[in-house]
Amino acid sequence: MSASLPCLGYGLGLRSAYYQQILDQSPAVDWFEVVSENFMVRGGKALYYLDAIAERYPLVMHGVSLSIGGSHALDPGYLQQLKLLADRVKPAWISDHLCWSRGNAHQLHDLLPLPYTEESLHYVVDRVRQVQDVLQRPLVLENVSSYVRSAGDKFSEWEFLHALSLLSDCELLLDVNNVYVSSRNHDFDPWTFIQGLPANKIRQLHLAGHSDYGDYVIDTHDHPVSDPVWALYQRTLDYLGPVATLLERDDHFPPFDELFAELQKARELGEGVLARRQKCA
Amino acid sequence: MRLNDWQLAFERYLLSESSTADVELGPSLIGGPTLDVSTGLAIYHNAYQARLQEVLRGDYPAILNWLGDEEFERLAAAYLRQNPSAHYSLRWLGKGFEAFIRQHLVPEQSAPLAELAALEWAFTLAFDAPPGTPLTMQHMAILAPEDWPTLQVSPSPSLQWLECAFNSVALWRSIKDATQFPGSTALDSPSVLVIWRNELVCQYRSLETLETKALKGMFERDWNFAELCSELTVICGEGAPLQAVTWLKQWIHDGWLQRR
Repeated sequence: MSASLPCLGYGLGLRSAYYQQILDQSPAVDWFEVVSENFMVRGGKALYYLDAIAERYPLVMHGVSLSIGGSHALDPGYLQQLKLLADRVKPAWISDHLCWSRGNAHQLHDLLPLPYTEESLHYVVDRVRQVQDVLQRPLVLENVSSYVRSAGDKFSEWEFLHALSLLSDCELLLDVNNVYVSSRNHDFDPWTFIQGLPANKIRQLHLAGHSDYGDYVIDTHDHPVSDPVWALYQRTLDYLGPVATLLERDDHFPPFDELFAELQKARELGEGVLARRQKCA
Repeated sequence: MRLNDWQLAFERYLLSESSTADVELGPSLIGGPTLDVSTGLAIYHNAYQARLQEVLRGDYPAILNWLGDEEFERLAAAYLRQNPSAHYSLRWLGKGFEAFIRQHLVPEQSAPLAELAALEWAFTLAFDAPPGTPLTMQHMAILAPEDWPTLQVSPSPSLQWLECAFNSVALWRSIKDATQFPGSTALDSPSVLVIWRNELVCQYRSLETLETKALKGMFERDWNFAELCSELTVICGEGAPLQAVTWLKQWIHDGWLQRR
Protein backbone atom coordinates (compact mmCIF):
# COMPACT_ATOMS: atom_id res chain seq x y z
CA MET A 1 0.00 0.00 0.00
CA SER A 2 1.35 3.44 -0.81
CA ALA A 3 0.03 6.95 -0.58
CA SER A 4 0.24 8.76 -3.91
CA LEU A 5 0.01 12.41 -2.91
CA PRO A 6 3.17 14.57 -2.94
CA CYS A 7 5.00 14.76 0.38
CA LEU A 8 6.20 18.04 1.92
CA GLY A 9 8.47 16.36 4.48
CA TYR A 10 8.59 17.16 8.20
CA GLY A 11 6.91 20.31 9.50
CA LEU A 12 5.94 22.17 12.65
CA GLY A 13 2.82 24.00 13.73
CA LEU A 14 3.63 27.72 13.51
CA ARG A 15 2.94 29.34 16.89
CA SER A 16 3.56 32.94 17.93
CA ALA A 17 6.01 31.89 20.65
CA TYR A 18 8.46 30.89 17.92
CA TYR A 19 7.94 33.55 15.21
CA GLN A 20 11.07 35.59 15.86
CA GLN A 21 13.33 32.62 16.41
CA ILE A 22 12.21 31.10 13.12
CA LEU A 23 13.07 34.33 11.29
CA ASP A 24 16.36 34.73 13.14
CA GLN A 25 17.58 31.17 12.75
CA SER A 26 15.84 29.79 9.64
CA PRO A 27 15.70 26.31 11.21
CA ALA A 28 15.79 23.25 8.97
CA VAL A 29 12.04 22.65 9.10
CA ASP A 30 10.57 21.54 5.77
CA TRP A 31 7.28 23.39 6.17
CA PHE A 32 4.97 25.05 8.67
CA GLU A 33 1.27 24.61 9.33
CA VAL A 34 -0.62 27.77 10.35
CA VAL A 35 -3.92 27.89 12.23
CA SER A 36 -6.06 29.77 9.73
CA GLU A 37 -8.16 31.69 12.27
CA ASN A 38 -5.05 33.18 13.91
CA PHE A 39 -4.40 35.11 10.73
CA MET A 40 -7.94 36.25 9.93
CA VAL A 41 -7.01 39.72 11.16
CA ARG A 42 -6.43 42.91 9.23
CA GLY A 43 -2.94 43.88 10.35
CA GLY A 44 -0.25 43.68 13.00
CA LYS A 45 2.35 41.20 14.06
CA ALA A 46 0.60 38.00 13.06
CA LEU A 47 0.33 38.98 9.39
CA TYR A 48 3.83 40.46 9.38
CA TYR A 49 5.36 37.18 10.56
CA LEU A 50 3.07 35.14 8.34
CA ASP A 51 4.26 36.97 5.24
CA ALA A 52 7.91 36.83 6.29
CA ILE A 53 7.81 33.11 7.06
CA ALA A 54 5.82 32.39 3.88
CA GLU A 55 8.72 33.84 1.89
CA ARG A 56 11.05 31.19 3.31
CA TYR A 57 8.95 28.07 3.90
CA PRO A 58 6.05 26.22 2.31
CA LEU A 59 2.90 26.73 4.38
CA VAL A 60 -0.27 24.74 4.92
CA MET A 61 -3.46 26.24 6.36
CA HIS A 62 -5.22 24.33 9.14
CA GLY A 63 -8.57 25.64 10.38
CA VAL A 64 -10.60 24.95 13.50
CA SER A 65 -13.85 26.83 12.84
CA LEU A 66 -15.27 25.55 9.57
CA SER A 67 -17.71 23.32 11.48
CA ILE A 68 -18.24 21.12 8.45
CA GLY A 69 -20.64 18.89 10.39
CA GLY A 70 -22.60 21.64 12.13
CA SER A 71 -26.32 21.74 11.51
CA HIS A 72 -26.15 25.50 10.90
CA ALA A 73 -25.64 26.95 7.42
CA LEU A 74 -22.02 27.32 6.32
CA ASP A 75 -20.79 30.80 7.22
CA PRO A 76 -20.14 32.73 3.98
CA GLY A 77 -18.14 35.35 5.91
CA TYR A 78 -15.83 32.69 7.28
CA LEU A 79 -15.39 31.06 3.88
CA GLN A 80 -14.59 34.43 2.35
CA GLN A 81 -11.91 35.07 4.97
CA LEU A 82 -10.52 31.59 4.41
CA LYS A 83 -10.31 32.20 0.67
CA LEU A 84 -8.70 35.62 1.18
CA LEU A 85 -6.11 34.10 3.47
CA ALA A 86 -5.45 31.30 0.99
CA ASP A 87 -4.89 33.88 -1.74
CA ARG A 88 -2.33 35.56 0.51
CA VAL A 89 -0.56 32.45 1.85
CA LYS A 90 -0.80 30.23 -1.23
CA PRO A 91 -0.84 27.15 0.99
CA ALA A 92 0.10 23.70 -0.29
CA TRP A 93 -3.34 22.62 0.98
CA ILE A 94 -6.12 23.67 3.36
CA SER A 95 -7.37 21.47 6.14
CA ASP A 96 -9.92 21.46 8.95
CA HIS A 97 -11.58 18.75 11.04
CA LEU A 98 -14.38 16.27 10.59
CA CYS A 99 -16.40 17.69 13.44
CA TRP A 100 -18.82 20.42 14.39
CA SER A 101 -17.63 23.43 16.34
CA ARG A 102 -20.62 25.75 16.17
CA GLY A 103 -24.04 25.20 17.64
CA ASN A 104 -27.33 26.59 16.53
CA ALA A 105 -26.74 29.99 18.08
CA HIS A 106 -23.20 30.05 19.42
CA GLN A 107 -19.63 29.19 18.61
CA LEU A 108 -18.49 26.30 20.77
CA HIS A 109 -14.77 26.44 19.90
CA ASP A 110 -14.25 22.73 20.24
CA LEU A 111 -13.86 19.85 17.80
CA LEU A 112 -17.04 17.95 18.63
CA PRO A 113 -17.68 14.46 17.29
CA LEU A 114 -20.42 13.74 14.81
CA PRO A 115 -22.89 10.88 14.84
CA TYR A 116 -21.64 8.56 12.09
CA THR A 117 -24.93 7.97 10.33
CA GLU A 118 -26.25 8.04 6.77
CA GLU A 119 -27.86 11.39 7.54
CA SER A 120 -24.55 12.89 8.70
CA LEU A 121 -22.64 11.40 5.80
CA HIS A 122 -24.85 12.88 3.09
CA TYR A 123 -25.05 16.16 4.96
CA VAL A 124 -21.27 16.48 5.29
CA VAL A 125 -20.60 15.32 1.72
CA ASP A 126 -22.80 18.12 0.44
CA ARG A 127 -21.09 20.71 2.62
CA VAL A 128 -17.60 19.54 1.67
CA ARG A 129 -18.54 20.03 -1.96
CA GLN A 130 -19.75 23.56 -1.21
CA VAL A 131 -16.49 24.42 0.54
CA GLN A 132 -14.41 22.91 -2.25
CA ASP A 133 -16.36 24.99 -4.76
CA VAL A 134 -15.41 28.14 -2.85
CA LEU A 135 -11.79 27.18 -2.28
CA GLN A 136 -11.36 25.63 -5.73
CA ARG A 137 -9.31 22.78 -4.30
CA PRO A 138 -9.85 19.60 -2.30
CA LEU A 139 -10.55 20.13 1.38
CA VAL A 140 -8.39 18.04 3.72
CA LEU A 141 -10.25 16.76 6.80
CA GLU A 142 -8.76 15.49 10.04
CA ASN A 143 -10.05 12.82 12.40
CA VAL A 144 -10.63 14.25 15.90
CA SER A 145 -10.08 12.84 19.37
CA SER A 146 -13.34 12.02 21.11
CA TYR A 147 -14.62 11.27 24.61
CA VAL A 148 -18.18 10.18 23.82
CA ARG A 149 -19.77 8.56 20.78
CA SER A 150 -23.27 8.73 19.46
CA ALA A 151 -25.31 5.68 20.39
CA GLY A 152 -26.92 5.89 16.96
CA ASP A 153 -23.69 5.38 14.96
CA LYS A 154 -24.17 3.24 11.88
CA PHE A 155 -20.52 3.49 10.78
CA SER A 156 -17.21 3.40 12.55
CA GLU A 157 -15.29 6.68 12.35
CA TRP A 158 -12.88 5.24 9.77
CA GLU A 159 -15.71 3.87 7.65
CA PHE A 160 -17.30 7.30 7.73
CA LEU A 161 -14.03 9.03 6.73
CA HIS A 162 -13.50 6.48 3.97
CA ALA A 163 -16.96 6.99 2.53
CA LEU A 164 -16.73 10.75 2.92
CA SER A 165 -13.47 11.00 0.99
CA LEU A 166 -14.80 8.81 -1.81
CA LEU A 167 -18.12 10.62 -2.11
CA SER A 168 -16.84 14.17 -1.78
CA ASP A 169 -13.30 13.85 -3.15
CA CYS A 170 -11.92 15.40 -0.01
CA GLU A 171 -8.52 14.32 1.25
CA LEU A 172 -7.59 13.23 4.75
CA LEU A 173 -5.33 14.45 7.49
CA LEU A 174 -4.62 11.43 9.64
CA ASP A 175 -3.87 12.52 13.20
CA VAL A 176 -2.06 9.51 14.60
CA ASN A 177 -2.30 10.82 18.15
CA ASN A 178 -6.05 11.33 17.82
CA VAL A 179 -6.47 7.76 16.60
CA TYR A 180 -4.55 6.55 19.64
CA VAL A 181 -6.50 8.79 22.06
CA SER A 182 -9.89 7.72 20.70
CA SER A 183 -8.84 4.06 20.54
CA ARG A 184 -8.05 4.14 24.25
CA ASN A 185 -11.26 5.98 25.11
CA HIS A 186 -13.54 3.82 22.97
CA ASP A 187 -11.62 0.57 23.05
CA PHE A 188 -10.96 -0.08 19.38
CA ASP A 189 -7.83 -1.24 17.56
CA PRO A 190 -6.00 1.86 16.24
CA TRP A 191 -4.50 -0.14 13.44
CA THR A 192 -7.94 -1.21 12.24
CA PHE A 193 -8.78 2.52 12.07
CA ILE A 194 -5.72 3.39 9.99
CA GLN A 195 -6.07 0.43 7.65
CA GLY A 196 -9.70 1.35 7.17
CA LEU A 197 -8.84 4.66 5.53
CA PRO A 198 -8.21 5.07 1.81
CA ALA A 199 -4.39 5.31 1.74
CA ASN A 200 -4.27 7.27 -1.49
CA LYS A 201 -6.35 10.05 0.07
CA ILE A 202 -4.09 10.70 3.06
CA ARG A 203 -2.43 14.03 2.45
CA GLN A 204 -0.83 14.61 5.84
CA LEU A 205 -0.13 13.12 9.26
CA HIS A 206 -0.30 14.87 12.62
CA LEU A 207 1.75 14.01 15.67
CA ALA A 208 1.10 15.53 19.11
CA GLY A 209 1.19 14.74 22.79
CA HIS A 210 -1.69 13.84 25.07
CA SER A 211 -2.44 13.48 28.78
CA ASP A 212 -2.97 9.92 29.97
CA TYR A 213 -5.25 9.61 33.00
CA GLY A 214 -5.20 5.82 33.06
CA ASP A 215 -8.91 5.22 32.49
CA TYR A 216 -8.99 7.71 29.64
CA VAL A 217 -6.74 9.90 27.52
CA ILE A 218 -7.20 13.59 26.65
CA ASP A 219 -5.75 15.19 23.54
CA THR A 220 -3.99 18.15 25.16
CA HIS A 221 -1.09 18.94 22.78
CA ASP A 222 0.94 19.98 25.80
CA HIS A 223 3.36 17.07 26.07
CA PRO A 224 5.92 15.43 23.80
CA VAL A 225 4.62 12.61 21.58
CA SER A 226 4.17 9.41 23.61
CA ASP A 227 5.91 6.12 22.85
CA PRO A 228 2.75 4.28 21.71
CA VAL A 229 2.05 7.13 19.26
CA TRP A 230 5.62 7.01 17.92
CA ALA A 231 5.16 3.27 17.38
CA LEU A 232 1.84 3.79 15.61
CA TYR A 233 3.42 6.54 13.49
CA GLN A 234 6.20 4.26 12.29
CA ARG A 235 3.78 1.50 11.46
CA THR A 236 1.61 4.01 9.60
CA LEU A 237 4.52 5.30 7.50
CA ASP A 238 5.59 1.75 6.76
CA TYR A 239 2.08 1.12 5.50
CA LEU A 240 1.58 4.37 3.58
CA GLY A 241 5.04 5.34 2.37
CA PRO A 242 6.13 9.00 2.43
CA VAL A 243 3.45 11.34 3.81
CA ALA A 244 3.92 14.91 5.06
CA THR A 245 4.32 14.82 8.84
CA LEU A 246 3.48 17.69 11.17
CA LEU A 247 4.34 18.00 14.84
CA GLU A 248 1.83 20.07 16.86
CA ARG A 249 2.29 21.77 20.22
CA ASP A 250 -0.37 24.12 21.60
CA ASP A 251 0.44 24.53 25.27
CA HIS A 252 3.38 24.34 27.68
CA PHE A 253 5.58 25.52 24.84
CA PRO A 254 9.12 24.24 25.26
CA PRO A 255 12.16 26.17 24.00
CA PHE A 256 12.23 26.00 20.21
CA ASP A 257 15.32 23.79 20.20
CA GLU A 258 13.45 21.19 22.22
CA LEU A 259 10.53 21.15 19.81
CA PHE A 260 12.92 21.07 16.87
CA ALA A 261 14.70 18.05 18.43
CA GLU A 262 11.32 16.29 18.65
CA LEU A 263 10.73 17.02 14.98
CA GLN A 264 14.18 15.61 14.23
CA LYS A 265 13.13 12.47 16.05
CA ALA A 266 10.10 12.21 13.76
CA ARG A 267 12.39 12.71 10.77
CA GLU A 268 14.87 10.06 11.90
CA LEU A 269 12.17 7.53 12.70
CA GLY A 270 10.34 8.30 9.48
CA GLU A 271 13.40 8.11 7.29
CA GLY A 272 14.45 4.88 8.98
CA VAL A 273 11.07 3.31 8.26
CA LEU A 274 11.03 4.52 4.67
CA ALA A 275 14.60 3.31 4.03
CA ARG A 276 13.77 -0.17 5.34
CA ARG A 277 10.58 -0.13 3.37
CA GLN A 278 12.49 0.75 0.20
CA LYS A 279 14.94 -2.11 0.74
CA CYS A 280 12.13 -4.61 1.14
CA ALA A 281 10.29 -3.39 -1.94
CA MET B 1 -32.21 11.62 17.40
CA ARG B 2 -31.78 13.74 14.27
CA LEU B 3 -28.43 15.52 13.75
CA ASN B 4 -29.90 18.95 14.45
CA ASP B 5 -31.68 17.87 17.64
CA TRP B 6 -28.62 16.03 18.89
CA GLN B 7 -26.38 19.05 18.33
CA LEU B 8 -28.91 21.34 20.00
CA ALA B 9 -28.94 19.11 23.07
CA PHE B 10 -25.13 18.99 23.07
CA GLU B 11 -24.91 22.77 22.78
CA ARG B 12 -27.38 23.28 25.64
CA TYR B 13 -25.27 20.95 27.77
CA LEU B 14 -21.99 22.76 27.02
CA LEU B 15 -23.51 26.13 27.81
CA SER B 16 -25.16 24.98 31.01
CA GLU B 17 -23.62 25.83 34.36
CA SER B 18 -23.45 22.24 35.54
CA SER B 19 -21.35 19.55 33.91
CA THR B 20 -23.93 16.92 34.88
CA ALA B 21 -25.32 15.35 31.72
CA ASP B 22 -28.94 16.11 31.04
CA VAL B 23 -31.55 13.43 30.59
CA GLU B 24 -31.99 14.21 26.93
CA LEU B 25 -28.36 13.96 25.85
CA GLY B 26 -27.02 11.17 28.08
CA PRO B 27 -28.96 8.24 26.57
CA SER B 28 -27.98 9.28 23.03
CA LEU B 29 -24.31 8.65 23.81
CA ILE B 30 -22.03 5.79 24.62
CA GLY B 31 -18.68 5.83 26.37
CA GLY B 32 -15.99 3.20 26.58
CA PRO B 33 -15.12 0.43 29.02
CA THR B 34 -13.24 2.83 31.31
CA LEU B 35 -14.68 6.16 30.20
CA ASP B 36 -18.36 6.51 31.08
CA VAL B 37 -20.62 8.97 29.28
CA SER B 38 -20.83 11.47 32.13
CA THR B 39 -17.03 11.66 32.43
CA GLY B 40 -16.66 11.96 28.65
CA LEU B 41 -19.22 14.75 28.56
CA ALA B 42 -17.58 16.50 31.50
CA ILE B 43 -14.29 16.58 29.53
CA TYR B 44 -16.06 18.60 26.83
CA HIS B 45 -17.85 20.79 29.36
CA ASN B 46 -14.67 21.59 31.28
CA ALA B 47 -12.70 22.20 28.08
CA TYR B 48 -15.34 24.65 26.82
CA GLN B 49 -15.31 26.68 30.03
CA ALA B 50 -11.52 26.51 30.45
CA ARG B 51 -10.81 27.56 26.87
CA LEU B 52 -13.03 30.63 27.01
CA GLN B 53 -11.83 31.63 30.46
CA GLU B 54 -8.25 31.38 29.24
CA VAL B 55 -8.96 33.73 26.35
CA LEU B 56 -10.46 36.35 28.68
CA ARG B 57 -7.53 36.00 31.08
CA GLY B 58 -5.22 36.66 28.16
CA ASP B 59 -7.17 39.70 26.94
CA TYR B 60 -7.64 41.23 30.40
CA PRO B 61 -4.51 40.58 32.48
CA ALA B 62 -4.86 43.80 34.48
CA ILE B 63 -8.48 43.02 35.41
CA LEU B 64 -7.34 39.52 36.38
CA ASN B 65 -4.60 40.94 38.56
CA TRP B 66 -6.98 43.36 40.19
CA LEU B 67 -9.71 40.82 40.96
CA GLY B 68 -7.58 37.73 41.57
CA ASP B 69 -8.20 34.29 40.06
CA GLU B 70 -11.44 33.37 41.79
CA GLU B 71 -13.28 36.66 41.42
CA PHE B 72 -12.16 36.98 37.81
CA GLU B 73 -13.40 33.48 37.07
CA ARG B 74 -16.80 34.27 38.56
CA LEU B 75 -17.08 37.52 36.61
CA ALA B 76 -15.91 35.86 33.38
CA ALA B 77 -18.33 32.96 33.87
CA ALA B 78 -21.21 35.41 34.34
CA TYR B 79 -20.08 37.28 31.21
CA LEU B 80 -19.91 34.08 29.18
CA ARG B 81 -23.37 32.99 30.31
CA GLN B 82 -24.78 36.27 29.08
CA ASN B 83 -22.50 36.57 26.04
CA PRO B 84 -21.69 33.14 24.60
CA SER B 85 -19.20 33.35 21.77
CA ALA B 86 -20.79 34.58 18.56
CA HIS B 87 -17.70 34.86 16.35
CA TYR B 88 -15.72 32.04 14.80
CA SER B 89 -12.53 33.59 16.13
CA LEU B 90 -11.88 33.72 19.85
CA ARG B 91 -10.18 37.03 19.10
CA TRP B 92 -13.57 38.69 19.58
CA LEU B 93 -14.78 36.84 22.66
CA GLY B 94 -13.99 39.69 25.03
CA LYS B 95 -15.57 42.43 22.94
CA GLY B 96 -18.48 43.04 25.29
CA PHE B 97 -16.63 42.67 28.59
CA GLU B 98 -16.50 46.39 29.39
CA ALA B 99 -20.22 46.86 28.72
CA PHE B 100 -21.00 43.76 30.76
CA ILE B 101 -18.99 45.05 33.73
CA ARG B 102 -20.87 48.36 33.61
CA GLN B 103 -24.19 46.58 33.62
CA HIS B 104 -23.34 43.71 35.98
CA LEU B 105 -21.72 45.55 38.89
CA VAL B 106 -22.84 48.49 41.00
CA PRO B 107 -21.54 51.81 39.60
CA GLU B 108 -18.94 52.42 42.34
CA GLN B 109 -17.34 49.08 41.50
CA SER B 110 -17.99 49.06 37.80
CA ALA B 111 -16.72 52.49 36.73
CA PRO B 112 -12.97 51.99 37.37
CA LEU B 113 -13.06 48.31 36.42
CA ALA B 114 -14.91 48.98 33.17
CA GLU B 115 -12.50 51.76 32.29
CA LEU B 116 -9.57 49.41 32.76
CA ALA B 117 -11.36 46.81 30.63
CA ALA B 118 -11.85 49.42 27.91
CA LEU B 119 -8.16 50.25 28.06
CA GLU B 120 -7.10 46.61 27.74
CA TRP B 121 -9.52 46.02 24.89
CA ALA B 122 -8.26 49.15 23.12
CA PHE B 123 -4.77 47.65 23.10
CA THR B 124 -6.11 44.49 21.44
CA LEU B 125 -7.82 46.63 18.79
CA ALA B 126 -4.64 48.60 18.09
CA PHE B 127 -2.62 45.38 17.99
CA ASP B 128 -4.23 43.88 14.91
CA ALA B 129 -5.88 46.88 13.25
CA PRO B 130 -5.29 47.28 9.52
CA PRO B 131 -2.14 49.26 8.74
CA GLY B 132 -3.98 51.91 6.73
CA THR B 133 -1.95 54.48 4.81
CA PRO B 134 -0.47 56.79 7.42
CA LEU B 135 0.51 60.26 6.38
CA THR B 136 4.33 60.55 6.45
CA MET B 137 6.85 63.39 6.55
CA GLN B 138 7.69 62.46 2.96
CA HIS B 139 4.07 63.11 1.98
CA MET B 140 4.20 66.47 3.73
CA ALA B 141 7.47 67.41 2.07
CA ILE B 142 5.85 67.24 -1.34
CA LEU B 143 2.55 68.82 -0.31
CA ALA B 144 2.08 71.95 -2.44
CA PRO B 145 1.91 75.19 -0.38
CA GLU B 146 -1.57 75.91 -1.68
CA ASP B 147 -2.79 72.51 -0.36
CA TRP B 148 -1.75 73.15 3.25
CA PRO B 149 -4.77 75.24 4.31
CA THR B 150 -7.27 72.66 3.06
CA LEU B 151 -5.41 69.62 4.42
CA GLN B 152 -7.85 67.35 6.24
CA VAL B 153 -6.96 64.22 8.15
CA SER B 154 -8.64 61.21 9.72
CA PRO B 155 -7.32 58.86 12.41
CA SER B 156 -5.19 55.90 11.38
CA PRO B 157 -7.08 52.61 11.80
CA SER B 158 -5.13 51.55 14.89
CA LEU B 159 -5.75 54.80 16.81
CA GLN B 160 -7.88 54.23 19.92
CA TRP B 161 -9.21 57.01 22.06
CA LEU B 162 -10.07 56.61 25.73
CA GLU B 163 -11.32 59.17 28.23
CA CYS B 164 -9.99 58.21 31.66
CA ALA B 165 -11.48 59.28 34.97
CA PHE B 166 -9.31 56.85 36.96
CA ASN B 167 -5.63 55.89 37.13
CA SER B 168 -6.20 53.00 34.72
CA VAL B 169 -2.91 53.61 32.91
CA ALA B 170 -0.98 53.23 36.16
CA LEU B 171 -2.86 50.01 36.96
CA TRP B 172 -2.18 48.62 33.49
CA ARG B 173 1.46 49.74 33.62
CA SER B 174 2.03 47.97 36.93
CA ILE B 175 1.14 44.65 35.29
CA LYS B 176 3.46 45.31 32.37
CA ASP B 177 6.30 46.29 34.70
CA ALA B 178 5.51 43.58 37.25
CA THR B 179 5.48 46.20 39.99
CA GLN B 180 3.15 46.52 42.94
CA PHE B 181 -0.49 47.12 41.99
CA PRO B 182 -1.06 50.74 43.01
CA GLY B 183 -4.78 50.53 43.77
CA SER B 184 -7.51 52.34 41.90
CA THR B 185 -8.00 56.07 42.42
CA ALA B 186 -10.00 58.74 40.62
CA LEU B 187 -7.96 61.31 38.69
CA ASP B 188 -8.19 64.96 39.76
CA SER B 189 -9.44 65.74 36.29
CA PRO B 190 -10.28 63.36 33.43
CA SER B 191 -7.64 62.88 30.75
CA VAL B 192 -7.60 61.44 27.26
CA LEU B 193 -5.42 58.45 26.50
CA VAL B 194 -4.47 57.60 22.95
CA ILE B 195 -3.40 54.06 22.08
CA TRP B 196 -2.02 53.18 18.68
CA ARG B 197 0.30 50.85 16.80
CA ASN B 198 3.38 52.27 15.16
CA GLU B 199 4.75 49.65 12.74
CA LEU B 200 4.30 46.55 14.92
CA VAL B 201 4.55 48.07 18.38
CA CYS B 202 1.57 49.30 20.42
CA GLN B 203 2.14 52.63 22.16
CA TYR B 204 0.14 55.02 24.31
CA ARG B 205 0.21 58.65 25.36
CA SER B 206 -1.96 60.93 27.50
CA LEU B 207 -3.07 64.16 25.84
CA GLU B 208 -3.29 67.64 27.30
CA THR B 209 -6.67 69.38 27.03
CA LEU B 210 -5.67 71.68 24.18
CA GLU B 211 -4.13 68.91 22.10
CA THR B 212 -7.26 66.83 22.68
CA LYS B 213 -9.41 69.70 21.45
CA ALA B 214 -7.22 70.15 18.38
CA LEU B 215 -7.30 66.47 17.45
CA LYS B 216 -11.03 66.13 18.08
CA GLY B 217 -11.61 69.16 15.91
CA MET B 218 -9.75 67.60 13.02
CA PHE B 219 -11.21 64.12 13.44
CA GLU B 220 -14.77 64.85 14.53
CA ARG B 221 -15.53 68.38 13.30
CA ASP B 222 -13.69 68.07 9.99
CA TRP B 223 -11.39 71.03 10.58
CA ASN B 224 -8.79 71.54 7.91
CA PHE B 225 -5.34 72.86 8.76
CA ALA B 226 -6.37 76.49 8.30
CA GLU B 227 -9.34 76.01 10.64
CA LEU B 228 -7.08 74.34 13.21
CA CYS B 229 -4.78 77.37 13.15
CA SER B 230 -7.74 79.69 13.38
CA GLU B 231 -9.23 77.86 16.39
CA LEU B 232 -5.86 77.83 18.14
CA THR B 233 -5.41 81.56 17.64
CA VAL B 234 -8.02 82.19 20.34
CA ILE B 235 -5.75 80.48 22.87
CA CYS B 236 -2.25 80.69 21.42
CA GLY B 237 -2.47 84.04 19.65
CA GLU B 238 0.26 84.54 17.05
CA GLY B 239 1.92 81.29 18.09
CA ALA B 240 -1.05 79.26 16.77
CA PRO B 241 0.46 78.24 13.40
CA LEU B 242 3.70 77.16 15.10
CA GLN B 243 1.78 75.11 17.69
CA ALA B 244 -0.35 73.54 14.94
CA VAL B 245 2.74 72.58 12.89
CA THR B 246 4.49 71.18 15.98
CA TRP B 247 1.54 68.95 16.78
CA LEU B 248 1.02 67.94 13.19
CA LYS B 249 4.65 66.87 12.97
CA GLN B 250 4.33 64.82 16.18
CA TRP B 251 1.07 63.18 15.08
CA ILE B 252 2.56 62.29 11.72
CA HIS B 253 5.72 60.96 13.35
CA ASP B 254 3.58 58.71 15.57
CA GLY B 255 1.57 57.49 12.59
CA TRP B 256 -1.79 58.79 13.87
CA LEU B 257 -3.03 60.45 10.71
CA GLN B 258 -4.31 59.51 7.32
CA ARG B 259 -5.11 62.06 4.64
CA ARG B 260 -8.77 62.35 3.80
